[in-house]
Amino acid sequence: MDYKYIEQLVERYFEGETTLQEEQILRTFFTQEEEEIPVELRKYAPVFATLVHEFGLSLGDDFYDRVLKLTEEAPTVVKARTIRLSERLRPLLRAAAVVAVVLSLTQAMNLSLSQGQQQNDEINYADYKDTYDDPVAARGQVEDALQLLSEGYSQAHQGDTLMSVFPTEEQ
Amino acid sequence: MKKISFQADVLPLKDMLFRLALRITLNHAEAEDVVQETMIKVWNLREQWPGIESIEAFCITICRNLALDKQKKMVNQSQSLDESQHEAPDTSHAANPEQQTVANDRIQLIKRLMDRLPEKQRTCMQLRDIEGKAYKEIAAALDISEQQVKVNIFRARQTIRQQYLATEQYGL
Repeated sequence: MDYKYIEQLVERYFEGETTLQEEQILRTFFTQEEEEIPVELRKYAPVFATLVHEFGLSLGDDFYDRVLKLTEEAPTVVKARTIRLSERLRPLLRAAAVVAVVLSLTQAMNLSLSQGQQQNDEINYADYKDTYDDPVAARGQVEDALQLLSEGYSQAHQGDTLMSVFPTEEQ
Repeated sequence: MKKISFQADVLPLKDMLFRLALRITLNHAEAEDVVQETMIKVWNLREQWPGIESIEAFCITICRNLALDKQKKMVNQSQSLDESQHEAPDTSHAANPEQQTVANDRIQLIKRLMDRLPEKQRTCMQLRDIEGKAYKEIAAALDISEQQVKVNIFRARQTIRQQYLATEQYGL
């Protein structure tokens, strides 16, 4: 091992000029057997040994499970909050909209169909059958009917004056 | 951008966050609380994850802020009380128990020197020298410039070197 290089690295380390890789080299170098480290550099060994020692500190095994448990309970509550009511009901509303469209379409179809049927219901004179075989008898019947109508129509009574029809007009 | 998974991307940061929280609060139990609060906060902010450039920097920022809050609230902050709790079992490379103790004492001394640094220097040094983070990542997490990160790390290393060598030379 070239100790000059290590010496330089140590100086550069304290000047804050070493790279992460070089700092790793120093930590590795100074944590080897003390006998392996040259006497003039030994004084720095505890500095790097401390850094390695401190890296070994860790939390107990139960911590992992504890945090997992704490974060497992949260999602059910928080997740429910993240889905808004409108978002939750969206599929239902979509289905309802489809049903509404189908219903209104069938309604419209029913309506146009029934209108078509009404048109068919109109009087078809061609379907009528004659009541009388004898044209003279038929004519007599029509004349009687018209006579009856004529008697009832346009018959003014003696009392029907303007005054009796519009009594208030005179006053 | 890659989809972020809590279990795969956030939870594995727990030890790194713990070490950072410990460096700031200097208290084992408080640091553990800080990491737990950080995890829950990050989880609750999961709607923001897709817009985050680095989930790690995001977690570090939250963890640091929570740790700083905790530190302010701590009335009886006791550094020496805590040390017994997170002492390393065996980090020494020396075979002989006496040498081991000496090596351990030196580690504890440097740790104390680190813990005495101003918070920003401490945090920058923690993230760089212990966690191996790039200046850019540290700058993003602390919301300061890369230059400021470098200056903080430089000052931290200089202080540690001077105080450590002085202590070694003249005794405690």
